[in-house]
Amino acid sequence: MDIFGYLLDALTPLNLILALAGVALGTVIGALPGLSATMAVAVLVPFTFTMNPAAGLIALGAIYTGAIYGGAFAAILVNTPGTPSSIATTFDGFPMAKRGDGGLAVSIATIASVVGGIVGAVALLLLAPPLAKVALTFGPTEYFWLAVFGLTLIAALSVGNTIKGLIGACIGLFLSLIGVAVVGGDIRYTLGMQRFLGGIDLTSAIIGFYCMPVILDLVATAEPHLKPSAQGGLRLREGFALTTKRKFLLLRSSVIGTVIGILPGAGGSIAGLVSYSEARRSSNEPKTFGKGNPDGIIATEAANNATVGGGFVPTLVLGIPGTPPDAIILGALLVQGIKIGPTLFTTDAPVVYTFIWGLLIATLLMLPVGLLIGRYAYASIVKVPKAVLAPTVALLTIIGSFAIHSNVEDAQLMVGLGILAWFLSRYGFQPSPIVLGLVLGSIAEQGFVQTWLIGNASGRLPEMFFGRPISIGIVVAALITLVFPIWADWKAKRRKQLEAVPASDDTDASIDPAIKIRDIAAVAFAAGFLVLGLGIWMGASEMSMLGSVFPRTIAVALGIFSLLLIVQNIQRPVGLAGPADRIVLALDMGGNRRLLLGAVMLLWVFLVPMIGFLVTSIAAFITITAIANYDRPPLSTWVVWIAAGAAICTGFWWLMANILLLRMPDGLLF
Amino acid sequence: MKIALASVLLTIATTAPLAAQSVSDFPNKPMTYIIPFSPGGESDISSRFQQSEWEDVTGEQVIIQYQPGAGGAQAWSQLNSLPGDGYSIMQIIMPHTVLQPLTGSAGYETKDLTPVNYFHYTPDAIFVRKESQFTTLKQLVDYAEANPGLITFAGSGSNSSNNLAAIRFDEQAGVTTTYVPFSGSGPSITAVLGGSTMAGFNYATSGVSQGDALRMLAVASAERLPAFPDVPTFKELGYDIVGGAYRGVAVPAATPEDLRQRISDIVSEINRQPDFIEKMEDAGFVLIDIGYDKVPEFVAARIEEYTAGAKALGLVK
Repeated sequence: MDIFGYLLDALTPLNLILALAGVALGTVIGALPGLSATMAVAVLVPFTFTMNPAAGLIALGAIYTGAIYGGAFAAILVNTPGTPSSIATTFDGFPMAKRGDGGLAVSIATIASVVGGIVGAVALLLLAPPLAKVALTFGPTEYFWLAVFGLTLIAALSVGNTIKGLIGACIGLFLSLIGVAVVGGDIRYTLGMQRFLGGIDLTSAIIGFYCMPVILDLVATAEPHLKPSAQGGLRLREGFALTTKRKFLLLRSSVIGTVIGILPGAGGSIAGLVSYSEARRSSNEPKTFGKGNPDGIIATEAANNATVGGGFVPTLVLGIPGTPPDAIILGALLVQGIKIGPTLFTTDAPVVYTFIWGLLIATLLMLPVGLLIGRYAYASIVKVPKAVLAPTVALLTIIGSFAIHSNVEDAQLMVGLGILAWFLSRYGFQPSPIVLGLVLGSIAEQGFVQTWLIGNASGRLPEMFFGRPISIGIVVAALITLVFPIWADWKAKRRKQLEAVPASDDTDASIDPAIKIRDIAAVAFAAGFLVLGLGIWMGASEMSMLGSVFPRTIAVALGIFSLLLIVQNIQRPVGLAGPADRIVLALDMGGNRRLLLGAVMLLWVFLVPMIGFLVTSIAAFITITAIANYDRPPLSTWVVWIAAGAAICTGFWWLMANILLLRMPDGLLF
Repeated sequence: MKIALASVLLTIATTAPLAAQSVSDFPNKPMTYIIPFSPGGESDISSRFQQSEWEDVTGEQVIIQYQPGAGGAQAWSQLNSLPGDGYSIMQIIMPHTVLQPLTGSAGYETKDLTPVNYFHYTPDAIFVRKESQFTTLKQLVDYAEANPGLITFAGSGSNSSNNLAAIRFDEQAGVTTTYVPFSGSGPSITAVLGGSTMAGFNYATSGVSQGDALRMLAVASAERLPAFPDVPTFKELGYDIVGGAYRGVAVPAATPEDLRQRISDIVSEINRQPDFIEKMEDAGFVLIDIGYDKVPEFVAARIEEYTAGAKALGLVK
């Protein structure tokens, strides 16, 4: 076959060097939350103008796939998705790392990413033109149901706490409404503030929701961030053994990722979530998901890297970019004078096939590169003293949320949402349902309103929503995902009650509180959410019809779930006190440190625009070092720490200002 | 306070002469070009075409940054907070920058923005997919007359040029159609290709990559497009619809006059590069040359047109 001839073109030394460098750079950028593949690819596009088209594309594709993979590091090691694609990696990756299996988790993520990436790229190589038709069979209705399917994962994520999970989802959906509506053009819930016009930025929200609680808990105890591994290293052999046993899971997750990658606008985050949800549903032990089951990592990482190859299918065949990095690469192709479209695979075959082979090679290179970077990342996260780790992670959250739009307001939002998320999770409202609502909200809304408009125009509204074959398939899958965990949980409880054995395996109170007593705080929160629901409803009154349908639905749902939570708690017996860990503001040392850290982070993001990035960051870094320090180190250690802090801050500042060319805030100093 | 005052004075002292000198050798370092949308759309592609010529024309590179949000309003509302040294420029688009302040609080007023050059527009066009029953605009109009509301047009966003054109088409043809907004050109073209909607009101540029999978029934340009010589204009068919999204380059209000002129000249010069013209026209863009001196008149005419249009069509409450 001809296409194998192009493999040799891809194997030139220059292309191999570009693939290697691209993967390494991409992995590092992906591992830093907020620094995205889009940003890296956008900065590097001009350099490809003077390159041979295939070589330039290989470099960009390698960065892209490396970044999607690199997101797993941050997800596993600090519970923060490095890119939105690895949201579901945090569910099991971080629990594994906490119990000392971080190295194994990194190995598994690497292997799964490579396999997923290969499946996606092979699909692109062999089947791109027919696969592009898949993108076209997905209309607004299918997108709506796909988003609903993603939302059903909430039932699985919040077993034993379903109502709180659903309330969380409503809050996330509400957050997704903020800003100018795509459909209808209304300006919604911005409270008249300019900063909310563009909506809540997903990446800064994710960083806030997942990473801020980790930092707050990091400083509250003297215990190490991750339990050091007993075996040490990445435990690659074990990782290979584990993943080879899961061949079918790997393959299925990769196929899910490829197909969802083909859908323009769906992207890696949804692929990861859907694949995770499927893995959990079909598992023999769904209860261990979310508590450090390697299958969760395999499912997510295989799927999200498969979206890279999948996403290129509509980009190259239809000229419709699957994801933002694809879009930039599409622009680069056009500048090179390559005509995108159905004829691309024949007229520009050398460029396209050389590129796809290059992408495959880059994906394979991810294995050694990723394991090497992973080894150092893991070792340093375990070894670095808390007094340096905590401020470094804090700095990364601020850089990450700032870098997306060169906007300090995003960083302020990140800290605010993060502190809110920490409070909510203390009272059983976990961040994941909120993030899911935020990720899926706009897709669900647009799909819903578009379907409604189209169905209404033709007078076939019910058929539009329920009569299309693919829709029916997704609805059935969603129903199974929704009902199955609740049913399994109910069955398990029945068995437990019959056996009258005290629940001893469930130590995580937030997921399954052992004794159900009246939770006064939950009632108070529910009352608050009821008021919020009312506010959402009233706020919708001045919107256009198109713009108000979804807010009203969410308002009603939020109201119902809040009332349910109140009723549920009133029926329960009054306890003397809530579980001990919920006394939030207990002024012991840990609580004090948390409060201090929260205050420092807030001050940090509000002083950056006034004073300047570098000076504020170094000051905050040193303050957080002091907050996170539990020992009495000698002066020389302090000097080293402060020097390290200054070096880290300056390094990142220089990187942002001079390499990524972000617009740094004009402070009084710098 | 003293330090603050001193640093302010120092800033003024150091930047003022620089600004005065810099026009002759402007630019002498890379410029930043902010695109107020996500990559992949017409804004991105046209700016990438410009970027590939930028260094040849100015001797310096231009760096493209994306600042999407609120249909562009996020970036435009921050334009004037950028430094006025000429090195920060932003793409600006009508009717967006006219309609957004008209229909609600966009965080800026049209008159706050300082466009220095409008360099092209993407005319609105009606598309159907290959399998569609319509081969001419007349068939579509006849069908719409017989079945009010049944024709669905996919388009890019609410209150966009596509939306305005669809409403204007209804008015001109005396029919009722349903406009379905999507989050950009990509998703709306996907809907047309997949048959989710019966037709699309998109930009002519969307037709280039699709080959014969899409059929363009009419285009809202003044003359037929070089890339689509067989597609009639709305004007030829008797509908007074000419327009689309007009893209230009804007600078922060603090930018001095001579730099505005210089940046406008750069944009105009790129517009004259043969390679650039060829790539743009092949991709379905229509080049225009509205330099800094002609911008006020051009914008005023558009504002009048859009305001009248938006009022008559009920977009303005």
